[in-house]
Formats: sequence, structure tokens, C-alpha cells
Amino acid sequence: MLTIAVCIKQVPDTHMVKIDPVRGTLERDRIPNIMNPDDMHAVEMALFLKGRYGGTVTAITMGPPQAAEILEESYAMGVDSAVLVSDSRFAGSDSYVTGKILSRAIAGLGSFNIVITGVEAVDGSTASVGYHLSEFLRMPLITQIHKIDIEEKHAVIERLYGHEYQKIRVDLPLILSVNKNTNVVRFPALADIRTCFEKPIRRMTMEDIGGSEKEYGLSGSPTVVIQSESFVHARERETMNGNIQEKIEDLLVRLKKHNIIRY
Amino acid sequence: MDLSLTKTQKMVQKHIRKFSREVLAEWSLYLDREAKPLPGDIVTAMGNLNIWGIQAPRHFGGADLDTVSYAIVIEEISRVSASIGLGVTVHNSVCLAPLLKFGTEDQKERLAYDLSAGRKIGGFTVTEPNAGSDAGGVQTTASDDGDAYILNGQKAFVTNGGVGDVFLVAAVFDAARKSRGIGIFIVEKGMRGFSVGKIEDMMGMRGNMVSELILDNVRVPKTNVLGRPEDGFKISMQTLDMGRIGIAAQALGIGMAAYEAAALYATERKQFNKPIGTFQGVSFKLAEMKTKLEAARLLVYKAACNKDNGLPYTTEAAMCKYYAPGAALDVCQEALQIFGGYGYVKELPVERYYRDVKITQIYEGTSEVMKIIIGNAILKEFSKL
Repeated sequence: MLTIAVCIKQVPDTHMVKIDPVRGTLERDRIPNIMNPDDMHAVEMALFLKGRYGGTVTAITMGPPQAAEILEESYAMGVDSAVLVSDSRFAGSDSYVTGKILSRAIAGLGSFNIVITGVEAVDGSTASVGYHLSEFLRMPLITQIHKIDIEEKHAVIERLYGHEYQKIRVDLPLILSVNKNTNVVRFPALADIRTCFEKPIRRMTMEDIGGSEKEYGLSGSPTVVIQSESFVHARERETMNGNIQEKIEDLLVRLKKHNIIRY
Repeated sequence: MDLSLTKTQKMVQKHIRKFSREVLAEWSLYLDREAKPLPGDIVTAMGNLNIWGIQAPRHFGGADLDTVSYAIVIEEISRVSASIGLGVTVHNSVCLAPLLKFGTEDQKERLAYDLSAGRKIGGFTVTEPNAGSDAGGVQTTASDDGDAYILNGQKAFVTNGGVGDVFLVAAVFDAARKSRGIGIFIVEKGMRGFSVGKIEDMMGMRGNMVSELILDNVRVPKTNVLGRPEDGFKISMQTLDMGRIGIAAQALGIGMAAYEAAALYATERKQFNKPIGTFQGVSFKLAEMKTKLEAARLLVYKAACNKDNGLPYTTEAAMCKYYAPGAALDVCQEALQIFGGYGYVKELPVERYYRDVKITQIYEGTSEVMKIIIGNAILKEFSKL
């Protein structure tokens, strides 16, 4: 039986995000909020492991009260319990403090043998909360997961990078970070959508996780975002000349140069 | 008065839209071109999401959703494939729903689980070669034979006919009693003498195996009569009220697909160095399309809301079934016009929307029959004054 915690975040819908050109901040008005895409894959991983090995899945999010929406959605997908870590004193926390808050909440909820996060959130893109959790919880973090099997007290994981697989064995408990390359997210059944709003959401505040106010929020955060700005990737176009053989050879040289093919 | 969707309805919309676009959409072209049914694994995947049992109770494996959510599901599926939307709405609203409402416990126990899961596909048939809008003109007979009825006749234009397992079939058991002599019989695939006739080669909705059904001395046990035999016509009429909300939602979905395609195209397509949407000839069309669709949507939701609130909805269902298909046909036609020549070729889906949408004015009661129902309700209301 696995005890799985999955950390998820509510973010503005990436397709609709614009950055205020003057202030350099996200324009959040009227942008619908969604569950962070990588975190959908984290929930899927949790439900996959539960389905295969049995166990329970607890979804945890830190955020303002409306972040409860993604917990309802995670209920629709099939998690067993949901926790909203929310306190106005947490507002403005950077990823380091977020890692601290989540790790304390996770520790306070009991012992989990697997903690899962998405690789990164589309609004901040720091891709670091998983690492912070690993430090705070003293649990190894495994990234780039291609395949995972749980055997007794350890996991056997195939990691994918570039063109190669690495097979590792790692003791539980551990932290997994996953993204769209890891799995395909299930669709919730209508029956589960019908009941997801009736399920209880446990709320945790600073009093529940301990610590003092100055550790959290802006005052506890070493990182300060100075400015954000939009940029556009201009597509580069080149025309290859010569006969078909010369073009193919030219193309091969270019592909090798950019490490797209090796031989 | 609050016209916004509930949290549940919004989440239904979001996820069924996503499922329709990511899973069902890729089949729409195949279904239309090949005129073949949806593959079994897709039917099963839909079943896993409760799409074949949208309003069925939980203990029969359904999602137990309200009628507005039901309309939302049909609209979203029909936006990507009207053929799939048709199969889903007919199965749910005129087979599973009446079975659950009028069926015996035994009938429900035996059939509702499989229907809710999509392991069995359902249909409903009154129509015959000589009985269309005149539903009382049914000629298929059901003669009493002890513990069974013997059915003989031919049914026409049966949605899901070629793929269905369970059909609610209207047949005359006592011609002298006129409409009170028409019963509804549960006819199941595999019954001796029951077979699928010609599969229709249609203008649109080509992914639904609309067919004839042949009843040649089919022995249907009396335990397979839906409700009391003499209530068959009444059951049919009530069933069609629900079916009409589904078909109106389907028309809305096709119209939405055409409208969105046209609106996007109007911003991309340039003529005379300007996007064609900047010409009022085009933007006025879009304005009319959007307004008509919004009006259609409100009528669909109104009828669905009435049903959910236990209010009468026969007239409301007729009004949305009269208005939405007409509005959607106008929208598809104008969308095609905005696309010009590109709207007329099969490379783009606009011509398919145009072919698919027309039948929504015909099946589940023609627009003319809808106006008879609405007109009768008006006369009844004013004659009381």
C-alpha cells in the first residue's frame, strides 16, 4: 500500500497569459485559472501508482482560497483526499519558501512514501520546488522518469535523457517530478465530476505547520522578481541550394552540428 | 435570475470539450468519409467517462447529471462530430431514459448497466415507411400470444440501427383502440426474426448507422413491454420531449463549430489587403450567427432547466427543437459563404457541418411538427382565458 502526496498549483491559463508591458507583471485579470499542466501529469502518476499497487493519494496545494478549485478537479480525477494550505501570511512566497511550506504541511499530514510534483509551473517556471522539497524532506528527487516499478521498499526507475536510458534503483520514500513526457493524463468520468464538489477539503494555515511569520511570504523569500517581459522567437529561415544530393548532405551537416543526429 | 452555469456544469463542459477535441475529433473525418461506425475501443472509452449514461443513476453506472449538463455534453461532442453526438443523444434520451423512467425493476436490472457503460447501444423507433410525422399511423403489429407478443413489421430511419443492441419499438397491439392501442416493446439483438435491413446512405450524419429494422414474427416476452401496453403512445411523446432537447443541443453544437471556424477564418483570410472580417458584409454575418446561437442556447437551457426543476417542458422542448436547428442551419450556410470556395471543398469541415445540420430540422419531430405543438399550446392557453 502506497501513501502518495501530490503537490499541485493553480496557475493562470498559459494560452491566455499576457505580461503588462509597462509594469512587467502578469496580467491576471479575466484570465481563467487552471491546474498547472505538469501537475496534471503528477496527479496522473499518483493515480497510476495507486491503481497498480494500491494505496491512497492526497492532493496538496498552497495558494489563495480559490485554489480549492484544482483540488475539486483532482477529486474528479480520482484522488482520495485534498489539502489546501492557505494563509495570507504566505502571500508572496518564492519557490524556496513554497518548498518549505509544502514540506512542513506534508510532514504534518503524516508519512508518505512517495511525493510527486510537476516539473515546473507555467506562471513562474522556476522548476525548483521539487528540489526544495527534496532538501526539506530529506528525500531523494528523481527526474526525467520514463518508467517506474515499485518493488517492496524501493523503486526501479528508467530515466530518459537525450537518446539514452538510465535504470536506477532507489529506496522509498522518494520524490518524483514529472511532466508531459511522463504519461498521458486521464479524463475524469462524469460521475466523478458530479460528486467532486461534495468532498471535504482540509485547510491548513501557519498555525498548523508551525514556524513564525517572518519565515514566510515576502519577508522569508530570498528571491525577488525584478521584472518580466515578453519576447518573441523569430523563426530563422535558410534556403539550401544545389541538387538533391547536395541538399541532403548539407542538411545532414546542419543536423549533426545542432546535435539532432549523431552519426 | 442567474443564467450562469453551475460549477459542476462548467467542469462537465471543460472536460467533455477537452475529450471531444483530443479524442473524438480525429474520428470525425473517418466517420463521414467511410460511413462506418465508431470503433469499439472509442465506444468503451466514452463509456468509462459515463457518456453513455449521462443522467442514469449512480447505482446503474451512470453519472446522475442534470439535463443542462446533458445538453452541454451533447453540444460539445457534436461540435467535433455530429454523428457521434447523434448516437450519444439518441442512446441516452430515447432509450436509456425511458427505460429508467417507465421500465420495471427487472428490465432496469437487466439492461441499464450495460446501456450506461456503452456495452450495449440503444435506440428508439416509431417511424415506418408510412408513419413519419403521423406517429399514430404505425403499422407494425404486436399480436398477443400468451406470455409474449409476436411483432411483425418494418421500422425506418432508426438511429443507431446498424449497431444497436436494445430498441424500444412502437407496435400496434389493438388497432381498434387507436393511439391507446400502440405499445412500446423492448426488442433485443439476437431475438429470432429480428434483423437490420438497409443501412441508409445519407447526406450527413454518415457515421451513424441509421437503418431499417425488420421484425419477422419476433417473439417478444410480455416482460419486455415498457410500461403498460396502452401507455405506449404517451410514453413515446414524453420520451420525444427529452429527445428534442438533445437534438436541439446537437444542432447548437454543429452551429457553434461552423461559427467558430468562420470567425477564425474571417480574421486570417485577407482580400483587398485586409482580413475579410473587417468588411461589414462578413462581420454582420458573424454578428447574426453569434446572436442566433446564443438565442438557441438559451432556449435549450430553458427547456432543460424546466425539466430539472420538475416544470412542464413539452412546449419549451418544442421551441428549442424548432429554433435551434433553423438557427444552426442558417449559421452553417453563412459560415460556408464566408469560406467561399474553400467552404465547398471536402478538405475543410465546413461543408460537412452544412450537410450534417439539415437533418436536425427533420428528425425527432420536424420543425413543422414542433410548430404544431407550440401552436396547440398557445391556443390552449388563450382559450382558457
